[in-house]
Amino acid sequence: MFVLKFLIRRLFQGAIIVFLVSALIFTLLRVVPGDPVRLMAGGMAPEALIEQIAEEMGLRDPIPVQFARYMGGVVQGDLGQSFVRPANGASVGGASFDDSTRGERAKVLGLIAETAPMTIQLALLAMVFALVIAIPIGVAGGLAPGRWPDRMALYLSSIFVSLPNFWLGIVLALLLSVKLQLLPAIGYQNFSYTILPAFVLAIEMAPFIIRTLTVSVAGVMAQSFIDIARVRGLSRNRIVFHHGMKNAAVPLLNLLGVQFSMLLGGVLVVEFIFDYPGLGLLTINAVMQRDFPLIQGIAIVTAAAFVLINIVVDLAATTIDPRLDY
Amino acid sequence: MTAIDIAIPPAPGAGEARTVASRIWRMAFSSIEFRIGLVVFVLLFLAAALYPELSGIDPTKMNIRGKLMPPLFMGEGWSWAHPLGTDQLGRDMLSRTLVGLRYSLLIGVTTTVLMLAVGALIGMLSGYYGKRVDMVLMRLTDAQLAIPMIILAITILGVSRPTIPAIILVLGLAGWPVYARVMRSTVMSERKKEYVRGAMVLGATDMRIMFTLLLPLVLPPMAFVAVLDIARMMIFESVLGFIGLGVQPPTPTFGNIIADGRKYIMNAWWIATMPGVFLFLTLTSINLMGASLERARNAVYGGA
Repeated sequence: MFVLKFLIRRLFQGAIIVFLVSALIFTLLRVVPGDPVRLMAGGMAPEALIEQIAEEMGLRDPIPVQFARYMGGVVQGDLGQSFVRPANGASVGGASFDDSTRGERAKVLGLIAETAPMTIQLALLAMVFALVIAIPIGVAGGLAPGRWPDRMALYLSSIFVSLPNFWLGIVLALLLSVKLQLLPAIGYQNFSYTILPAFVLAIEMAPFIIRTLTVSVAGVMAQSFIDIARVRGLSRNRIVFHHGMKNAAVPLLNLLGVQFSMLLGGVLVVEFIFDYPGLGLLTINAVMQRDFPLIQGIAIVTAAAFVLINIVVDLAATTIDPRLDY
Repeated sequence: MTAIDIAIPPAPGAGEARTVASRIWRMAFSSIEFRIGLVVFVLLFLAAALYPELSGIDPTKMNIRGKLMPPLFMGEGWSWAHPLGTDQLGRDMLSRTLVGLRYSLLIGVTTTVLMLAVGALIGMLSGYYGKRVDMVLMRLTDAQLAIPMIILAITILGVSRPTIPAIILVLGLAGWPVYARVMRSTVMSERKKEYVRGAMVLGATDMRIMFTLLLPLVLPPMAFVAVLDIARMMIFESVLGFIGLGVQPPTPTFGNIIADGRKYIMNAWWIATMPGVFLFLTLTSINLMGASLERARNAVYGGA
């Protein structure tokens, strides 16, 4: 019952947030200079044709009217069509002879659905790498506050946060892919193409995990129940991994919710460097091509993902630590 | 008026404030990490401030005959005139990198100050007045945190012209909510204390309490931690430059130099890598200082 009430309340709040984000990005895209129709029809197209296309697409209506029409579609699960991408290039087996500039255009939802799994795969592998890197460093630091493992954690996280992701990506691609030929870097053909981008993302995420772990492990180990566990004769490993990690799990989960937007920024850049065909690359291309419906669609989907992830995080946190109340 | 002037300075909280800030400062300064960071930072800062002018090398001057020269001792054709080599158009890499560092620092520091100012103001109003003001401002903060700011940022800069003020504004508006939250919770707990209530009884205006009594007390500890954000914003600026949405060429920035150098990575690895080394060193020095300040703050607050 409690969970149901919680879900209804949070989903309602989430819907408001997604609505606000949509309104904001929609308005923003319409007040900035630059006519997307000019881009679609080509620089040489006569003014009359531009006006005609814009009229047909409803781009000359007042902004609130356009927004209402757009949201009407969104509610029914229709995020509109891309301005520039042809449907045949993006959908499987669509052998049409349509003129891509004025024919069938790709569905925004379809484009997002195609690329999202790639990004999820990248993000999950990056998280695994980040945890593998961060847990030993963070836990060691937390167990020895003020001593050298703690110092080491500080130095390593300062170094990790100082590595600009795009530069690290280029350097690693040069070393591991070009010079040593260990890993493929550019594009995507099979799973091995995910490893290098995921590693770069992991280095970006690791410092936050290290810091959270150091603080929460140090905090837990200072609690009286740890001393009691020692008196009870539990082994050091058991104390650290059973009690220590369990208490560090909640701050870590919260970190995931809070750092979602940072992860998103990292994904964008890393996919761009490695030409990895995910949501991030799609976003950058959409911005470069002024593909307004696609930008809107991505913004709405990511805002919704943020809301959902935070709900899941809070639910998981209450499951781990029943004292929490949201 | 005069009564308040006499009443406020000896307030116990205000005296404590200076000691808390200076205790944090002294504690951080005594750590080895902070000193390493400071020395490296000062060296890089001086190089960026002086070298381009003193050497008289114009970072945008092309010299096709001297193009793609490697850095010192790295392969054939290097020269003392170009310690970091030259790029595909024969421009001096060292002065390009250092001018890039200037823009990076300028944007990083200005953006952080803007974020801190906006966040502190909103947090102060929210924490001091509470109730309805607080509710509206905090919902605004929530919404802001949920917006995929990176998408918003590249959209704004992508469809308009990325000028320096636009970049600062976009980045600054993206980062304030965190400061607003910290400020709000500190002010909420401070304003219940004796010295604030005393000032109210003596008839001090809200403005006076907020900005002459509370602000000097709660801002310095927050500002110390903001040092870390300078580095974060510098990375952000370089990312924007790298995807072509930062300060535009011919002005050299870390982002656009590295993006350019990537095309020549096979036969001139130094163009993309060397500026990155400088950026990395600058960021590490700032992060070491910031991390020691943060630790010192946590230690002072935890111990006090």
